[in-house]
Parts: sequence; structure tokens; C-alpha cells
Amino acid sequence: MNGLRILLRQPRSLVGAGILLVLLLMGLLAPVLTPYNPTSLEFSAYMPFSAQHPLGTTAIGQDIFSQLLYGARLTLLVGAVAGLIATLLSVALGLTAAYVGGWVDEAINALINVFLVLPGLPLVIIAAAFLRGGGVWPVILVISLTGWAWGARVLRAQAMALRERDFVQAAVASGEGPGRIIFMEILPNMTSLIAANFFGAALYAVLSEAGLSFIGVGDVSLVTWGTMLYWAQAKGALLQGAWWWVAMPGLGIALLGTSFALLNFAIDQLGNPRLGWGSVKSFRRTLPPAPAPNPNALLAVRDLDVGYVTPQGTVRAVRKVSLDVAPGEFVGLAGESGCGKSTLAFAATRLLNPPGEVLGGSVTLAGQDLLALAPEALRQVRWKEFSVVFQASMNVLNPVLKIREQVYDAMQAHGITDPAKLDARARELFSMVGIQTRYLDSYPHQLSGGMKQRVVIAIALALEPKLIVMDEPTTALDVVVQRQILQEIAEVRRRLKISIVFITHDLSLLVEMSDRVAIMYAGELVEQAPAHELYAHPAHPYTQQLMKAFPPMTGPRERRSGIPGRPPSLSETLPGCPFFERCAVRMPGICDVKPLETFRIAEAHTVACFLYDPAVSPATKELALSHAPNSVIAQPLVSQEVRLEPVPNPALH
Amino acid sequence: MSQSQTPLSTNFPASAPASGPNTLDIVNLRKVFGGRGKSGGVVAVNDVSFSIRRGEVLGLVGESGSGKSTIARLIARLHQPTSGEIRLNGEVVPHKLGGQGLRQLRRRVQMIFQDPYASLNPLHPVRYTLARPLKIHRLARGNTDPQVTALLERVGLTPALTYAAKRPFELSGGQRQRVGIARALAAQPELILADEPTSALDVSIRLDVMNLMLDLKDQEGLSMLFITHDLAGARYMSDRVAVLYAGTLVEIGPAVQVIDQPQHPYTQLLKSAAPKPDAGLTPDHIEARGEVPDLSTLPPGCPFEPRCPYAMPECKNGLPKLYDVGEEHQARCLLHDPAIKAQRAGAVAGYAL
Repeated sequence: MNGLRILLRQPRSLVGAGILLVLLLMGLLAPVLTPYNPTSLEFSAYMPFSAQHPLGTTAIGQDIFSQLLYGARLTLLVGAVAGLIATLLSVALGLTAAYVGGWVDEAINALINVFLVLPGLPLVIIAAAFLRGGGVWPVILVISLTGWAWGARVLRAQAMALRERDFVQAAVASGEGPGRIIFMEILPNMTSLIAANFFGAALYAVLSEAGLSFIGVGDVSLVTWGTMLYWAQAKGALLQGAWWWVAMPGLGIALLGTSFALLNFAIDQLGNPRLGWGSVKSFRRTLPPAPAPNPNALLAVRDLDVGYVTPQGTVRAVRKVSLDVAPGEFVGLAGESGCGKSTLAFAATRLLNPPGEVLGGSVTLAGQDLLALAPEALRQVRWKEFSVVFQASMNVLNPVLKIREQVYDAMQAHGITDPAKLDARARELFSMVGIQTRYLDSYPHQLSGGMKQRVVIAIALALEPKLIVMDEPTTALDVVVQRQILQEIAEVRRRLKISIVFITHDLSLLVEMSDRVAIMYAGELVEQAPAHELYAHPAHPYTQQLMKAFPPMTGPRERRSGIPGRPPSLSETLPGCPFFERCAVRMPGICDVKPLETFRIAEAHTVACFLYDPAVSPATKELALSHAPNSVIAQPLVSQEVRLEPVPNPALH
Repeated sequence: MSQSQTPLSTNFPASAPASGPNTLDIVNLRKVFGGRGKSGGVVAVNDVSFSIRRGEVLGLVGESGSGKSTIARLIARLHQPTSGEIRLNGEVVPHKLGGQGLRQLRRRVQMIFQDPYASLNPLHPVRYTLARPLKIHRLARGNTDPQVTALLERVGLTPALTYAAKRPFELSGGQRQRVGIARALAAQPELILADEPTSALDVSIRLDVMNLMLDLKDQEGLSMLFITHDLAGARYMSDRVAVLYAGTLVEIGPAVQVIDQPQHPYTQLLKSAAPKPDAGLTPDHIEARGEVPDLSTLPPGCPFEPRCPYAMPECKNGLPKLYDVGEEHQARCLLHDPAIKAQRAGAVAGYAL
């Protein structure tokens, strides 16, 4: 099992399992480790530590070391069995409630809630008092019956979520019956939660048993760590100075509890890997300093390298990308999922969270090095100089605050406090993005998704930033609303002359909207050109195939084909062009060997493809092109290339 | 709510050429979520009728909340219809279905889900996912491997034995969706309900998945309901297209005809809103007021009336019927009513319809 392997690599689970193993061995090997019976009274009272009695003896002359060893047996038994029964009850009731639903769910849920509000310990005490003296099993039973409710509630919630998942729906739709749905589809996806639940319940059982025995409601004739504490207390061990009689079982319980808690947490972390990532230092530069930014650019990204540091290694999601944005320019950044376009946006706006890390390069906004800014200085710049709109950013609106307060928020944080000014600005912003001003006094839930996204754009505009980075801002919306919002974005940009970096997977939309389009593939920026130029003369084989991969809205219906294969994994180091495997016009021996280079083929048009490399012989290029049946490269190939590094953006001059 | 009870016959396009019954007929299908009795509740599907012929792909187009996914789930009986009739190959699917009947239905109707990252159980290898339908519907005795291999080959996942052993996390999005398609094929269904099967995929692989479905249709005569919000995709995939708005079918007809010359103002709006790189760099400026209405408080008349640039007082009087606007092409809009046409003839010049 993959999960088990990860578990065994974690210090937390290793320590937990180690402690548990030692305690288990103590119990199992008790007859080997000590010659004495834990209940025999053959020694004198309160003997000090000695070779014969490593932990001394009790007030009535029992060997404490042997009690500790034998006590581990029963204590572990209680923990394991009660934990198991409680977990089984949780699973059975939680799953039944979630799967059957209706009144069954309501009844079970009511039962769970009753058990959760009942004060646990008094209930255990009363129940145990009734069953007193019957050995260890009544205690186990009582603890199990009071310890299942919390787990049942968690498992019920999880099962309900799983039930609605598409793969369960798919199983239902394929005719699968309830048994298989529960045991083959839902339950296996809950294993880590169930395991964590077991250790939680076992911990509860161990602590409850100790508590019960300590106050004398368990069966005090048994030897457990709990009853050891009971007798120590009853005989006034501490008054006699025999602190070890109390300390040893106490230590045992603490160690067992620690072990269960560590295992519980480690398993929990398997299902929720984010818990495990501590704070990684976010801005570390290990690569050589980047070339100087273009002084005319509003935003200059230079040789930006961004990676995700994972236990499996570093994923280089953005690879030496340079991109300039001129004042007032609308730059479209397109690419497939996982090509690094969003990572680029996050990194360039200092919003990247661990495990993401900037590994090299620079980002300069209006002359300021963004990556070097201290948090307070960054806060000053953010929103005032640049703002950000994300795909699901409508979810960032606080549901309990009126829209008005949230629009005011950014302005107030930057020192605008006059109520009349705030109100006037809010109204102005709303009319800019096409929302009626009466919605200022609504709550977010009263607005549709499209209106919420408009509010977020209005907030992004509040301080008239010079640049707005928009990452798929309309993807979650319906086509009509999407188009309306795009029109408003275009209009606002024209009026305010702000720069926009617009990120989307929808190339056709970008071609319509942008001044300039940049195409990313597998972390590399592969082509950059004015939108009309890119549309009319796409140069990179990837761009060309991407342009043809949309079903057309007009013309005769004919088959088209997508791009075969898939992008390479970003955790790999690629010697050459990342598109090589999928490229119809690749040149083996060149494209897969030489480090990728960028060439300029027209004034503002650059492409990272060796077909445009003057150093490659025309014959080699011809040969590669002859493999593509439809002659994919319909471009001037050898005429105008100039090797340039870095590539300047003519919009800046 | 008073629905205009349009006679059944006008709700149907001319019946299929002599090739037996349609694979699917749905007649006045209705689904109300929540609410008891006459009042309240969300009318997700509002008396929708259409048919799918044998070997035909019907594109079902609409925005979120239009009821398009609900219709698929009603046909697969993941939801219980509130009223209306569903016929498979001419046989009425009973309103009440027991375990046996449900299993029968689910063999004959199979779904392909939108998100291939969510629709495959992450713990099961491909072999398990594909073998289950075979076993449930007793289509294989003993060893299912030969059939699993054949299925994987049909969807282009070769070498099949390698793919059979993989778990979903080892597959790309396109490969997962191929597994999703293979799972739907496994039960040898009469009808496939494909719920936005490509919208979660990257652009570069969408076409290949669509092409696979078209190949299966061409080679094996599969009938398919292809649900999408993307007009261009619907045009590429479908023989005919039905357009839904707020649970109501507003236009239906041959795919190319509906999308090239949309006859309902809503279809026109959808078309003008779609990105069109082919059209060059002159995007349409769309004029539309508001957004999709709240389905629990639909206006009594045409649901599109509050947003329609051509709205007339008559539009509020009741849901218009479907008017014939071309061969096998119908639109639910009063602009096509002969009386209103005559009335407007003088008043409106340059109107597109």
C-alpha cells in the first residue's frame, strides 16, 4: 500500500509505532522479563529499587515492575478491544445513516447527538458502577458504548460526501447494488479516517479505564495501570515517599496515549497532506541573478523559476519565463491545465503558498522588485499598484458582511475614510462593472455568481491599480454572463488605461480580447505575439495545433483532430523541447537534445522552436516538415530569424 | 401552474424514417425539486419532450441551471421524474421500478460523467471498473479479461493489458475519460447519456474524445444524448440539437441549421456570446439584460421574456408553443406565430428572424 509506505517514512508515525511496539512487547514478554506474579504478596512493603525489584514494591509487598508489565496487558487489551468495538459501531451507524438517509438518518443522527451531549465521564461512572466487579469485559463494554458517537458523526459526514461523488453515482448508474456501493466504493475511500478513528477511540478507552479504575469503579482486583494508580492512592503511596508507585503506571498511560495520538495524527495527515507542510521559506534564490528588467515595462518578469517542493522531489512548474507588460497593455496568457500559467501569476503577485517556491528570477513592478519587498511594503503596494482576481474569487466575499463594507474595506485599509467619498467611489465602481448600486446593501448570497464576480472586479479596481492580474476570472460562469463581464473588463481597461494580465485555457477568447498573447507549455513560454499576428500566423507547432483543436462554429462539418499524447511531467528535467514527444514536425537529434531557446521571427513575435533556429540546416527542417501531412509550418522559416536574448517587447517603445 | 397543453403531435419532429421505434422518447417530462403539492419547489425540467433516433446524437445545449443534466439523470433514474413519460425503444419505462427493473434500465441506459477525475473510484484499477458492469448485468461468465481487453481496445487504450492494471491516478484526463466511455459501453446499452464529457478536459485532447464518440456512433450505431454548454461542440458532435432555457425546451432542429441560423432569441444570444476565433477579431457585442431567472419564481409566460430584446406584452400570457420554423426545426417563440408575424410585419424593419 502506498499510504502505508508514506506512513512509515514519517517521524511522527514511526515514533508512535515504536512506543506502541515497546509497550506491546512489555505485556507479551511479561513472564520472561520478570519471575514474579504481580499479585503475590511475598515481599516486604515499600522496598526501594534493587536488582531484584527494579521498581521496588508496593505497600502490601507486591513487585511493581511485574505489575507494570502485566498491567500493560490489560490496559492494551482494553484500548484495542474498546477502540475496535467503538469504531465498528461508528462505521456501522455512520454509514447506515449516510447511505439509507431519510428517517433512518434522522434517528441515528439524533442518537449520535444525544450521546455527544451526554457528559461522558459521569455516564461511564454510573454504568460501570452497576457492572462493578465483573472483570474487565463490563468495563470494555461501557467504554465502547460511550465512545462511538464522535466517530460516527465524522464518518457519517464523510460517507455523505462520498455518496454524492461522481464515481459513486457512476456505480449506481451502472446498476451496482447497495452492498457493493457501500463496501467497494464508499468504505475503501474511508480507510484512513477509520484508522484514525480507531486510534482516537483506543486513546479514549485507555484514559477512561485509567480514570474509572483510579476512582475505584472498575474491577480493582485486576492488574491494570489504572488499578495500580488506585491502590497507590488508596495506600497513600506519595505520603510514604514511594513516588515511583504512582509515576510508573502514570508514565505508561502517558506513553500509550502519546503513541495513539501520534498514530492518529499521522494517519489523519495522509488524508489531508496539507497538514504536514510546515512553513517553507518562500523566497529563496539559488539561481544566478536575472538580467536587468526592461525599464519601460510596467511589469517585468525575468527568468522566473518557480517550483513546488514535495517529498517526491521538486516540481519545476515555471521554467525561466520572461514576460513584459507595457502600461495599458492587455496580455493574454494561455495554456493547458498544469502548464504553469497560474503558478506564474501566483508567484509574480507574491501569493504563492508553500510548498510553492520561487527558485530564481525577478519580478519588477514599476521599478520595484516585488520579490524583495517586506510584508508591510508589499501590503502597501498590493491593491494600490496591482490587484488580483481569481477564478473562484467570488467565494472570497464574506457571507455575513454587506457588499458595501467589503467594497469599502480595501479603500479604508489604504487611508480613505471619509464616508461620503467611500460611498461615491463605491457607486462609481459599481456602475463601471455594470451592477446596480442598490446591491451595495445586499449580502453576497443575494447575488448571482456573475454579479459576485463583478463585485470582486469592482473591489480590484477600487484603488485604481496600474495592473490587474486575472486568473480564469470567468471560467466558472455561463457563456452569456462570461461575455458580458469580458465586455465590461475591456471597457474599463480602455477608460482607465490599466494593464491586464489575463490567464485562461481558452485561446479563442484571448485572441479576441488581448493586445498580445503568450502561450505556455509545460512550464515554458513557447510563443509570444500580438493577438492578430498569433491568430493569422501561429508559429509554434503547439500553437498551430491548439488553434485547430477547437470545433468550428461555422463552415462545413468535418473531422478535426486534437493533439496526440500528453504534456511531460514537470518533475522531470527535460534536456530539450518539452513538446518534442507530441510534435508532428520534430527534429530528432536537435529538439530533444539542445536546451530550449527562444527566437524572434518578426518584430514582436517570438517562438521557442528549433524550426526557427538559423543554426539548423534548411534540409533538416524540410525533412521534419515533410513528416507532417498537412504541412503544419506554413511560415517563413529561414528568412527573418534573429537570435535574441532577452526578447524585448516592442509595445514598450 | 398553468402550462399550455400543446398537443403531443406538435411537440415532435416528423417521426424517423422506417427504422423501427426511436431509441428514446421523452414526453412532457417534468421534475420539481422540493416543495409539496402545487405550490413551491424548483421546476428544474418543465414539460420537456424530444426523441432520439437510432444511431443519432442529440445535442442538449443550455447553461447551468437549464435542467440539461437533470434530464439525463431522470432518464437514468438517478432522480425520479415528477411526471411525464420516458420510452426506450417504444417501451414505456414504468414510473415505479423495483430493484430488478432498475437494473434492467441501467443496462439499457449508460452515463458518461463530466469530470473523469471524479467519476472513477481512485482505489480501483481500470480492470475492476470495467468488469463490474459485465458482472452486474451477467454479460460475462467467469473470466472477464477478454471483454475488458476488447473494451479498452475499442476506446483506443492500447496495449490494453497495461491499461487494465492501472489505477486512475496513473492516467491522464483524456485517458480517464476513455475509461469512462469504456465503462458506459461495457453494459452494451441502447442509449448513452454523455453529460458534458469533454468540458473538464484540456482543449488539446477534447477533440480526440469527441472523435472517439463519433467513431463509436458511426461504427456501432450508438444513440447518444450529448449534453453541453458549448455550441461549437454541439455542432461538431450532434445530428440534431435541442436548446434548453430555465428547464424549458426553446428550440430543436438539425444541428447545423439551429446553430447557423438560430430561430429563438435565446439561441441567438448563446451563439453571439460564444468565443469565435474563426470570426477574426471582431467579437459580437451582445445585448442581454440580467441573468438566468430563479427557477422557483419563473414568470408565467416565456421564461426568457425578462431578458429578451424582442419581448412583447403577449409573451407574458403563457408559455408559447413550439412553432415550425424549418424542416424538423422548431422554436418556442411568439415571433414565429403567424398572427404576430403579420402584426409586426409593418412595424419592424430589419429584424433578423
